[in-house]
Amino acid sequence: MLQVTDLVVRYGSATALDGVSLHVDDGERVALVGPNGAGKSTLVNTLSGVVRPASGQVRIDGRLAHVPEGRQLFPELTVEDNLRLGAWRSGNRDPSRVYAVLPDLDRIRRQRAGTLSGGQQQMVAVGRALMADPDVLAVDELSLGLAPIIVSELADHLRALNREHGMSLLLIEQNARLAFHLCERAYVLESGRVTAEGSSDDLARSPEVARAYLGGITEQDGPDEPTAAPSAPSGWSSE
Amino acid sequence: MTGSVTDSATGRRTGRPTGRPGTRWVGGVAVLVVAAVTAVLPLVLSTSHLLVYTELLLAAVVTTGVSLLMGYAGQVSLGQAAFYAVGAYTAATMSLHGVPRLAGLACAPLVAGLLGLLVGVPLLRLRGHYLAFATLAFQLILLSVIGQQDSLGGDIGLRNLPRLGIGSHEITGFQGYAWVAWTALVVVMLVTRNVVRSRPGRGLRALATSETAAASSGVPVGRYKLVVFSLSASFAGLAGGIFAFFLTYIAPGSFGVLLSFQFVVMAVVGGLGTLWGPLVGATVITVLLQWLNGLGTQPGMPAYAPQVFSYAAYAALLVVVMLFLPRGLVAAGSDLYALVQRRLGRAPADETPPQGP
Amino acid sequence: MSAFLTYLVSGVAIGCTFALVASGFVMIHRVTRVVNFAQGTFAVVGGMTTASLLGRGLPHGVAEVLAIVVCGVVGLLVGAIAIGKPGTPPLASLIITLGLAIGAYGVEVVVFGDQPVSFAMARGATTLGGAHIQWQYFLVMGATLVTFTALALFFERTYVGKALTACSSNPYAARLAGISVLRMGLLAFALGGMLGGLAGVLITPLQPVSFDSDAVLAVNGFAAAIFGGLMRPGTALLGGLVLGVSESMVGGYVNASYETEVALALMLAIMVWRSARTPVSVEEAA
Repeated sequence: MLQVTDLVVRYGSATALDGVSLHVDDGERVALVGPNGAGKSTLVNTLSGVVRPASGQVRIDGRLAHVPEGRQLFPELTVEDNLRLGAWRSGNRDPSRVYAVLPDLDRIRRQRAGTLSGGQQQMVAVGRALMADPDVLAVDELSLGLAPIIVSELADHLRALNREHGMSLLLIEQNARLAFHLCERAYVLESGRVTAEGSSDDLARSPEVARAYLGGITEQDGPDEPTAAPSAPSGWSSE
Repeated sequence: MTGSVTDSATGRRTGRPTGRPGTRWVGGVAVLVVAAVTAVLPLVLSTSHLLVYTELLLAAVVTTGVSLLMGYAGQVSLGQAAFYAVGAYTAATMSLHGVPRLAGLACAPLVAGLLGLLVGVPLLRLRGHYLAFATLAFQLILLSVIGQQDSLGGDIGLRNLPRLGIGSHEITGFQGYAWVAWTALVVVMLVTRNVVRSRPGRGLRALATSETAAASSGVPVGRYKLVVFSLSASFAGLAGGIFAFFLTYIAPGSFGVLLSFQFVVMAVVGGLGTLWGPLVGATVITVLLQWLNGLGTQPGMPAYAPQVFSYAAYAALLVVVMLFLPRGLVAAGSDLYALVQRRLGRAPADETPPQGP
Repeated sequence: MSAFLTYLVSGVAIGCTFALVASGFVMIHRVTRVVNFAQGTFAVVGGMTTASLLGRGLPHGVAEVLAIVVCGVVGLLVGAIAIGKPGTPPLASLIITLGLAIGAYGVEVVVFGDQPVSFAMARGATTLGGAHIQWQYFLVMGATLVTFTALALFFERTYVGKALTACSSNPYAARLAGISVLRMGLLAFALGGMLGGLAGVLITPLQPVSFDSDAVLAVNGFAAAIFGGLMRPGTALLGGLVLGVSESMVGGYVNASYETEVALALMLAIMVWRSARTPVSVEEAA
């Protein structure tokens, strides 16, 4: 579905990505964790075509939509306009399919995007990406600046999208706990290189990762059980 | 080998040769050669060529100010000819009222610089394209005001200005004025060099990249911009003063908008923020225009040919340089030199490639 | 009273032409963040092309529309050179448009000659409240109203209009959505060209244009455009009207030769006043 092979990206004389390889299979939820400056955003920007790699391969079966770091909405335009512009590629401008999945957006559809709260904006950003009818959704720093409960709601939406619609998910996160919670598999990116990969369970238990990213939890702790999904219109069911 | 200093803040070459001490003399010799050649040239040029040469040198003086403003302070001025005019009119008016000519000439840059200071206070709050239009507007207003003052000769201008000199000794030949202009250029270049190398000068270079960054590192942004603006105005004023005595006739028509654009073209082509860029730019433009003029006045060419050729030349130069040689000829030249050195295997291994603008 | 009315109406009409030039500035800057120095050139080309076509026997209506289309193409060309190369910073694009405006002088002299041209559109005049008002003024005002309404609808209601706004609002996000910022920029230049051409078509019957008329038109248009910070067409219209009327009043009651100075001084004052309200950091982020 998404296959990245030996990707090298440079900015001038600085190397941001130094031979990164990863893959996301159909219907998978995969996380990419790492500290600030590891090159995570560079990777996603390369996937969505904003940045050109120096060498390496990116293969995407279908369409990839990128939910950028920091929401990046069009603040003067309404929520509905923001969504409709997301359909530039797909051609299907009718936002009702996104309202079906994210009903809160329907309620605020006429509000200017710049006046929304952080959580609402993040939801709009996700909705806008969904309008492109993607096969892979790459979400960059979902949790940035948001309250945990909002993040939890958003994560549940994403999980539901993955389970119900088979949309693959690549979650780029500094918050490793969230990443392991939501995704089955993960990569660790540090200074432009993949330094660890494996199932979320394994990585969460690994002492190095725990020390670096999870504040040193013990080996007995594992990922939490999924929380209940938020209420949704009929036709949708949580796990 | 000789390289060029790449300023870490702007990535710009300063055009000053540097490198291993043993090779620094190459740069020094080059400067001496250029200085000698340009000083001797008036002895061998014909009268009509001397006219062109003197105007070239005067243009280089003004362009040094423009280049300083654009390259180091990052401000675009499309109205520099206004200060040129102010210098000319100051020198002319004072000498017509009996003030000793040298004093009049000395006042030209002072008055122009003062005006630059006054005008700079409100205008320099503007950035980028706003400042460009504002300086253009300022020039249009100034020229219009001058054109309506009968005391300044109105639209017809001031004629029969005295020649430059002290007491009864006057400079009458074109050669003399060429040397006066040459001296002015040397003075102006030395001043620029010292300003650029000084601590305030380094603060200036930071300005060109990012005002916010410069301001937050303690650079008194507003003051530096104002000083540079005023300085560039005084350079233009000095050139204008010499121009007045040289031509002995000035009118608002001599200082049109196209002249301001010409200075910008010269600055851009030569290389913004380099010491030799203005001279290189002035030379290239002047030579090109002379050649085109000659081409355009050939028998069989329509009457509008010279004019159209000059427009086309400005356009082509601005576009090509902005798109492909944004750092100007001097920088391109030193890049080429460095490239050749590398190819010949004499470059040190740690030479960093040139940064973009 | 009739003198006042005359000055007012002619001021409004002239102001409308400034507003049309301004709308081109706004269109281009809103989408690409570039200030197009050649905006006045579009007006000149529009006026001179119309005069030329009419001179060749083309009927009214056809000549004007054709001239406007030509200006659209010219706008596209200017845009292609000014922003076509990726990574051109907006200030470099400004200088490029300056160069192209100068180059246009040469082309205009060759194609149209160096003499001012004019043509007649709506002939005759009428009397209103004792004032002698040309029909052309009404035509100009009507056309301006229609154009600005269309512009407002375009930006507020159409998908493409919103995409254009998105490009300047958040070019990164626009790119992610698959909107080609370059293509939108070129579209903006083409539209800006047509708006400038329309301005020229309407101005030329009122005052002859020649190849060097673009500087005054550009300065006035820019002055009007900055009322709305180069982003809002509606405020540009207001700016144009204020400018046109002030110039007309000064020209009528004080001295005709001070008209340009008034406009320029007003523009400078507004720019300085606005900049005092916008910190540099905001502008730099732009």
